Amino acid sequence: MTDTSGAKASASGGEQVSLPAIVGGFFQLGVTSFGGNTAAWLYRAIVLRRRWIDDRAFLAGVALSRVLPGSAGVNLTVQVGQRLRGGRGALAAVVGLLSGPLVIVVALAAAFARIAGSNVAHAVLHGIAAAAIGLTFATGLVLVPRSTAQLGEMMLAAVTVLTVGVLRWPMLPVVLCLAPIGIGLAFLRQRGRS
Amino acid sequence: MPDDWRALFALVAVFGPLSLFSIGGGASLLAEIAHQAVDVHHWTSDREFADLFAISRAAPGPGTMLSALIGWKVAGWWGALTATVALYLPSSLLIFGAARLWGRWRGSPWHSAIEHGLAPIAAGLVLAGGVAVLQVSGEPAIWAAAIVATGLLLRWPRFNLLALFAASGTIFGVAAALGH
Repeated sequence: MTDTSGAKASASGGEQVSLPAIVGGFFQLGVTSFGGNTAAWLYRAIVLRRRWIDDRAFLAGVALSRVLPGSAGVNLTVQVGQRLRGGRGALAAVVGLLSGPLVIVVALAAAFARIAGSNVAHAVLHGIAAAAIGLTFATGLVLVPRSTAQLGEMMLAAVTVLTVGVLRWPMLPVVLCLAPIGIGLAFLRQRGRS
Repeated sequence: MPDDWRALFALVAVFGPLSLFSIGGGASLLAEIAHQAVDVHHWTSDREFADLFAISRAAPGPGTMLSALIGWKVAGWWGALTATVALYLPSSLLIFGAARLWGRWRGSPWHSAIEHGLAPIAAGLVLAGGVAVLQVSGEPAIWAAAIVATGLLLRWPRFNLLALFAASGTIFGVAAALGH
């Protein structure tokens, strides 16, 4: 990978970022990234502010994260850590990112368990859940293709919602059946265009 | 040391494979996590699941911290740690390996076919997650508020999420306190 050293040199002025700095930087990112869209927060904290990687490397990382499974935020974190310090850098970055939220979320749940009998506490959680479900729908709806030219893709999305969401079928077999159809469709479209 | 190894193995058996199926991001797993935790393993009741989902959204970090809470419910701190590692390790190793090959891969027609081909399924999975959580939470007020929040966020995508979560939680809390 020829561009690794280039990104490192331009991003951090030639100095290597130390492992504790990586843990610290991603810890800070983890505990401040609210709302679930860690990738967007990572861009601000790691690319814009700390300049550990440049825009081009970030976009390449986003593209790869889209093809492969996993949380986009965690996948980007692995790639940034890897660019900075190889395997140990990737491990340091992920541990830094996840340790804070893990402790916070469990502490919140433990605190809530003490007041679980309270109707008001439940109601507050219901309110938060409703807003979070709204966020989930808004995110998903933006991603669904809407033009009639993409009828096949629309059908795929609809079948996924029906089977996995409404009928509660197990996700793995559904994805294993639909993925080849989606990829085949996209492949045919590309050939038709070229 | 953990005392309930069987529970930890069950967590790994559920979350490990899911790791490699979270296409388009962690949100695509929500429906399946609900299915596994509530219907298959009975780790939580409907109501507990809805509560844990809300708590996971009120906390910072990647959205899939819900898995840590399911693990915590099943086997305490060790469960939380086990579920988190099981969910993130396989996909992290995959991208770690793939990033090395990325230079050679870039621009291949297969890469873009995979990216475009999986996108509608990923969108469907995200929506299915919303449907699944609505099903387990059940209450009409949550349905109504979720629809309002959806419309709001579609109309103003840059709306401050913390403010939205806080406002919605406050409204529900005040309504309950007033004996609604």
